[in-house]
Amino acid sequence: MEIFRITRNAWGQETLEGISWDLLPVAFGLGIAFIVGHLVWRALRRRRGSGKGGQSPSSL
Amino acid sequence: MFHWITALAVLLLLASAFLPIVGFKFSWVPLHWITGLVLTAAVVFHLVRASFFQRLRCIWIRVRDFGDASAGRRAAKYTLAQKLMHAAMGTAVLVVTVTGVIMLAKVDTPLWKRDPYLLETSTWGVVYVLHGAAALLILMLTMTHIYFSLLPEKRAYLRAMIGGQMTRTEAAQFHDPNRWSGERKDDPRENHK
Repeated sequence: MEIFRITRNAWGQETLEGISWDLLPVAFGLGIAFIVGHLVWRALRRRRGSGKGGQSPSSL
Repeated sequence: MFHWITALAVLLLLASAFLPIVGFKFSWVPLHWITGLVLTAAVVFHLVRASFFQRLRCIWIRVRDFGDASAGRRAAKYTLAQKLMHAAMGTAVLVVTVTGVIMLAKVDTPLWKRDPYLLETSTWGVVYVLHGAAALLILMLTMTHIYFSLLPEKRAYLRAMIGGQMTRTEAAQFHDPNRWSGERKDDPRENHK
């Protein structure tokens, strides 16, 4: 997977074109992974909190 | 109103940037630069308003915030999560806005003629990299921002974003009334908290 888009001009010099769009699905996947991770963490905290008789709403 | 103008601009910019990459072909450049100007105006408005007409230090991240959050203590005006989201999104939007304004020099519009020789080729590459990286970060942050707004326990915030206010009881669930009364910014009780 490339990090950058690099092309060569007519003289064979490398030119930086920008960030690689291979990273688009990576960014989307990281967003989904964070959401799923937070949902799991939240569920675990809620289960632990209910076992201790509740928790502060600000810590959710 | 500011939030929704910014939100609509960001969503249109993300759509016009990334949909062509995943195969939805359309004339995205006019939509992208015009919406970019709207976002730039919104960012300038927010910077002026927050710097001169609001209490800027309310949004600063302090060491104390981490202690409060880990101990389950209620926040003042903004929770640590809100401050972190603001810092990340604010940084990314500033980078994408500044680089986007520079990149306007490469677009022919009714308002100006393109000047692709404004910067050296290698400098343009750096500008494109920064713009693209910030856009990818904004994509991730937007996904998480929408996710957090839809959580049932944050419903009061979502209603406040739509209706512009929440009740004191709802606010007191997350915000300590002794540290943030919800009153005007010149309320002496809100200084040094």
